[in-house]
Amino acid sequence: MTDFLQLTVAGLSQGSVYALLAVGLIATYTVRHVVNIAQGDYATLAGLGSISLVTAGLPLPVAILIALVTVTLASVLIERLVISRVKNLTTLVSIILTLGVSTLLQAIMLLIWGAEAKRLPAFPGSDLTLGGVSIRSQELWMLGALVVVGGGILLFYEKTRWGKALRASAEQPVAARIVGISPAIASMLAFAIAGFAGAAAGVVSSPIYLSIWSGGLLLGLKGFVAAVLGGLVSFRAAIVGALLLGIIESYVAGYVASGWKDAVAFFILIIVLIIRPAGLVLRPNAVRV
Amino acid sequence: MSYLNKAAMRSKTGFWPNNRGTILGIAAFAVVIAIVPFTASSSMMNIAVFSMIFALPAIGLSLLMGLAGQVSLGQAAFFAIGAYTHAILLQKFEMPGPVAAVGGVVAAMLAALLVGLPMLRLRGHYLALATLGLGFIVMIAVREWEFTGRTTGIYGYGRPEVFGIPIDNNGLFFWFVAPFVLIGLVLALNLTRSRAGRALSAVNDSELAAESLGVNTYALRVKVFTLSAGFAGLGGVFYAYQVQIVSPQVAEFHVSVELLLMVVIGGLGSVWGAVAGAFIVELLSEGLRDLIPAIIPGATGEVQLIGYGLVLILVIILLPGGLYQVVKTAWAAITRRRADAAAKPSPAETADGGSGDVPTRAFGGLPGEPPAGASLDEATDAAASAPRIPTVSTPVAAGEPILVVSGLTKRYGGVVAVDGVNLTVPAGQIMGLIGPNGAGKTTCFNMITGAIAPTSGTVRFLGEEIQGRKPHVGAEAGLTRTFQNLQVFSSTDVVGNVYMGRYRKGRAGILRGMFGLQGREQYAHEEIARDILDSMRLGDVAGLAAGDLPFGRQRMMEVCRALAAEPALLLLDEPMAGLSGSERELLAQLLRALRDAGLTIVLVEHDVAQVMALADSVAVLDDGVLIAHGDPESVRNDPAVIVAYLGTDAEEAEAELKELEEHA
Repeated sequence: MTDFLQLTVAGLSQGSVYALLAVGLIATYTVRHVVNIAQGDYATLAGLGSISLVTAGLPLPVAILIALVTVTLASVLIERLVISRVKNLTTLVSIILTLGVSTLLQAIMLLIWGAEAKRLPAFPGSDLTLGGVSIRSQELWMLGALVVVGGGILLFYEKTRWGKALRASAEQPVAARIVGISPAIASMLAFAIAGFAGAAAGVVSSPIYLSIWSGGLLLGLKGFVAAVLGGLVSFRAAIVGALLLGIIESYVAGYVASGWKDAVAFFILIIVLIIRPAGLVLRPNAVRV
Repeated sequence: MSYLNKAAMRSKTGFWPNNRGTILGIAAFAVVIAIVPFTASSSMMNIAVFSMIFALPAIGLSLLMGLAGQVSLGQAAFFAIGAYTHAILLQKFEMPGPVAAVGGVVAAMLAALLVGLPMLRLRGHYLALATLGLGFIVMIAVREWEFTGRTTGIYGYGRPEVFGIPIDNNGLFFWFVAPFVLIGLVLALNLTRSRAGRALSAVNDSELAAESLGVNTYALRVKVFTLSAGFAGLGGVFYAYQVQIVSPQVAEFHVSVELLLMVVIGGLGSVWGAVAGAFIVELLSEGLRDLIPAIIPGATGEVQLIGYGLVLILVIILLPGGLYQVVKTAWAAITRRRADAAAKPSPAETADGGSGDVPTRAFGGLPGEPPAGASLDEATDAAASAPRIPTVSTPVAAGEPILVVSGLTKRYGGVVAVDGVNLTVPAGQIMGLIGPNGAGKTTCFNMITGAIAPTSGTVRFLGEEIQGRKPHVGAEAGLTRTFQNLQVFSSTDVVGNVYMGRYRKGRAGILRGMFGLQGREQYAHEEIARDILDSMRLGDVAGLAAGDLPFGRQRMMEVCRALAAEPALLLLDEPMAGLSGSERELLAQLLRALRDAGLTIVLVEHDVAQVMALADSVAVLDDGVLIAHGDPESVRNDPAVIVAYLGTDAEEAEAELKELEEHA
């Protein structure tokens, strides 16, 4: 039983990372209909960046803040320099394009930080034990990041005028323009949100799960699996899906074999797409895009 | 009159003119292949061998992207499955090389089938991301599985032998792979020009139109995806032979990126481009591996990725057509210059018509419009000489029901667009379906043709229930339609569009297409397409890009395309809209002639007068409900119809209706 709970805690904290990435993916997907393959690379970039800043002597919070801002700006820059440059952004083209971005980011990280995995120092706080289950403080930070960042983004979308306009611009670009949000601004904003959510996931997870140049792809893909559980539109369902995914992975790693852990997500992806392609929340006959 | 016999007699096209490009290209490539091992340095030879090996999965990926409009981010997974299966069959089961090779290819194709069957039902990003996931699964599986040798992999199997000669150096290996690449190229090139290949490019233009002509998009996509994996598997087989150890690295994601890059550089969907791309990417990779550590000391690992990422982005932004686009533009420039040079003696002519194949869009009129000189008399003359009607098939005796619609209902949330429509269409008649805007005519139409699924109710065509099935199901049985909003295959010319109408009359599948065994069939159908265009006075524009035709003639082309299918039931969605007076006259005449020949026609029309004049019976929809059905005279006088059309005051409405008709 303790094992079970222990694995559940580990799964929840890992799932919160996937959840943040899923939120980022949905943000760009709803506005641009782009599944950003580079989403996970934002996380590694922020992780590796903050590690360098800490090594250079900056205090951890400052390093993290700089990393978050930089990656957010980088995401906007990618939108401006790459995504918005293509007039006819078909699905095929958007996949190739963001794959190109992802490959480029990975290569840059490889050249700057080398091929070794690196670790950010753990965030302050002490580990606690509840009924025999030990919870590392970093795991609480990870869950906390989901609550603050994910919840913040959710509130932004549902409560603020800009957030609502952003959602609207996904459905009705013309109507959104009338409300006062241009498609270009909406797109940049979506990429900023995606960049920030990705970066947040990267820094909180680095102390436990390390940062390595090539790790982003797998992370992003798991975020995508979670996003698919939310039908690529629902933040809430995606967050729930991400936490579930984290927990299932954790059980597989604990009870089956740790090597197979990373394959779980894709089996889930394929099964979900066969059974409920519209995601967990939508009616099955809703629009399939 | 049998079109097929006539077409065979008239066929001017032949094997050589149609295959000249391919044959010359392959011959030139073969010569290069023969020479390379004598001239290349040993490091270049190594690059050349890997280029040839990777050209195979690249060709497959190019087919998938060009024909199926889908992208696989896990091409390396199929490559790896081919390599592993081959190596395992050789090493653990000691099978002979050719058997093991076939095993490798089949295993890759089976894996693709498994992923493709569910994923290709979905559109959008799913196949791409599912294949990306598959890549990880394969890599994890081979790494974790004792049987596949975990991280060490499979090794210790022999080199291939051909007629007792061991293939033990790069030169020989190059020649060993080359025939397979050449054959693969020919098969792929044939496929792109085959019935299936043309159907798939039509699907990329308009999926709905292609399916309405009988194209089973899903089945074709699954086949192309499987085939593409087969190419990857074959590449894997040669890879296993060449490197002599198959380890999990072969399934790594950057291999998939490399393959994708080959196709993107070569030009999406260009088979030759994929082969050229393979050589370019291998050279680039080798160059970057040398260059980057020289610039950045200490750089190790997959440093070539930086070039891959940059090139991917730059090509897509700056040169979306890749090398293929460059070559095409250059070739067009050369031929234009040649044409200019030929026209030099008369400079006036050069200025006027020197632009060669570009249709002049001067004030003389749009391309494809009848010459300005042609008077209306001439037009009606031609119309009077009655268009030759295409073959009509009548599986049901005149008067018997051919289409029976009962209880057809469509709800969108709380809105009922079509409510319990019952309708029987007897064979050999023209039925008009009219109704005010938003009455649900097109929704009805779309449910009958399978474009949308009804909420409830049945559609029986020739006794078969087809509601909720994909459009190709009805189309295969002989139900063909046109579209209110034109659905033109813009990537081909006018005759190519009408040729697509012949899809359900053709039989050649992907295999026959690949082996080039369908030339005769294809020429015959193209000839029929030309005949139909001639009879509808579109023969002069047969070679024009379909999108360049003026609206009215595009509509006529769609009718030709539908007729080319030799349907038993023809559904026309507002066929008269946008047609000129003489075109309307021609079309009306044609429809009558077709009806007299036994064809059943249902037309949705806005133009009430046209329908009343043309139809044998008229059905009226209002607010999703069928309010009247009968012969034109009784419907015209039906008070409910008059109210529906023109408001509450029946008398006033009737007057207006008359006026409207007279006007039209």
